[in-house]
Amino acid sequence: MGKRPAGGSGRKASWRRERGHFILLMLTPAIVLLTGLILVPFVVGFGLSFTDYILSLPPARFAGFDNYMTLLSTPEFWGSLRVTLIFTVCSVVLQTAIGLGLAILLHEETRGVPILRAIYLLPMAVTPIAAVFTFRMMFNPSLGVFNHILMGMGLPPQDWLGTGNMALLSLILVDTWQHAPFILLIIAGGLASLPGDPFEAAKIDGATPWQTFRLVTLPLLKPFLAIALLFRSIDAFKTFDIIYVLTSGGPGTSTTTLNMYAYKQAIEFVSLGYGSSVAIVMLIIITIVTQLFLRRSRLLTVAES
Amino acid sequence: MKKKARKLTPGIVVRRIILWGFAVWCLFPIYWLVNMSLKEAVDAASRPPTFVFVPTLVNYAEVIQDPRVAGFLTNSLIIALAATFFGLLIGAPAAYVLARHRFRGDGKIAFWILATRFTPPIAMLIPFFVIFYNLGLLGTHTGLVIAHVGINLAMIVWILRGFFQDLPRDLEEAAFIDGAGRFESFRKVILPLALPGIAAVGILTFLSSWNEFLFSMVLGGNNVMTVPVGIYAYIGFEQIEWGKLSAAATLMLAPVLVFIILFQRQLVRGLTLGAVK
Repeated sequence: MGKRPAGGSGRKASWRRERGHFILLMLTPAIVLLTGLILVPFVVGFGLSFTDYILSLPPARFAGFDNYMTLLSTPEFWGSLRVTLIFTVCSVVLQTAIGLGLAILLHEETRGVPILRAIYLLPMAVTPIAAVFTFRMMFNPSLGVFNHILMGMGLPPQDWLGTGNMALLSLILVDTWQHAPFILLIIAGGLASLPGDPFEAAKIDGATPWQTFRLVTLPLLKPFLAIALLFRSIDAFKTFDIIYVLTSGGPGTSTTTLNMYAYKQAIEFVSLGYGSSVAIVMLIIITIVTQLFLRRSRLLTVAES
Repeated sequence: MKKKARKLTPGIVVRRIILWGFAVWCLFPIYWLVNMSLKEAVDAASRPPTFVFVPTLVNYAEVIQDPRVAGFLTNSLIIALAATFFGLLIGAPAAYVLARHRFRGDGKIAFWILATRFTPPIAMLIPFFVIFYNLGLLGTHTGLVIAHVGINLAMIVWILRGFFQDLPRDLEEAAFIDGAGRFESFRKVILPLALPGIAAVGILTFLSSWNEFLFSMVLGGNNVMTVPVGIYAYIGFEQIEWGKLSAAATLMLAPVLVFIILFQRQLVRGLTLGAVK
């Protein structure tokens, strides 16, 4: 009954005909779910950002660009943008320096590498809340182990989370503990996959280690560095757990990042409309940064290979 | 280079000191957490903090008998297992199709999948909160499972796709010659061979759900508290409860540590989103 179109043999044709059907059936549940769980919430969030919706105070009214106008004229928004940028840039720079340096050392190391890699994996895999809770104990001014160690070394104790600048520094420290290994592991993986020839050539040409690093290693590592930097920057930009548990954005607003600001507005003050507009602004910033990044480095193709 | 027995030059010594020093730095908070969990209240609140003390399991005994903690653990377990199961069930077929077939719009799907990795959680959380509020899903296990599948599905598809791509293409060819249809060849040939990859992604999903804090806290409320949320809720009484809280946190870390030891390679691949194989 038309089961056998002209040309190919029966089975081959049916295998080919099955293709569209197969793709559709295999893909549909995921697409439905991704639509329902990502696209729909996104549209809802986008819509909310144009309303004055406050939970349990319905009905919400369409407010046009009011939220965005308020946002742009609020010093708290600009303050939190500043805090976010400081936190993100400092964290990522510090983690890249540590991660890159250690990855190169690890690449040359011959003994105990699997154990070291397993240990380095811990901070990024361990439950963040448990780790951050531990840091909170260690940061405690009178009972914490950090001040104990500082005083043991003859250094003055610190009020780790008590003052604005120090609190931000402490958050960067914890973020670096958690995520420097991320950059380290990506770069180490990159180093392991590099071809040997350019290094041989550099050796024959009598390059110093520093020259080899700058002129051979670094350019070859570029795609891996690009991935590591992009992922890390965006994740640092979105940091929540560390800040929420250690400072909740305080003291004052000294560690209130955009993410904390959006959380406080939307969840604590249930101003879901206004909070959404902050979240959308964050999304716009991330999209712009990602686009710039993707344009400059062919990131997706690297991630696929 | 590795074969040659090298003398310990100062360079190598410095390198090892740095590498192991960093390892100590990575381990120290975990060591300190376990250390605190083994202290009696007096030791936990001693000034200065003690490194040497008589260890005790009192905190663990108390924590295990605490019905609230048992509740947190059960909630975490149910939600993480269900999210992993549904995530894989729905993600694996999609990942396979994206790995093997070129069709109109496949690049877009891959892009959207990556895009979800970049979206700030708060942008998803607020609409989830509003939708769940209206559907009566706040404070339910179902709600949290749905949210955790939503958070992880993109990652599941993305990494599994990499695993499927690693399988040789002749497999389907051979299945076809043996008379299998496409579904059959996926089910009977591909899936069993991809099992290690699927297991790795499953573990990653489990850990991600197990460790998740923000969505669980906001969408679960006081009704369905997972372990991280439970621990956070009790940090308020930290001075008194440090030992107990540390014991609870250590218990929560136990499965994570087991997974890290057993599946190091796969975890590295997963946590770096396939950038490191």
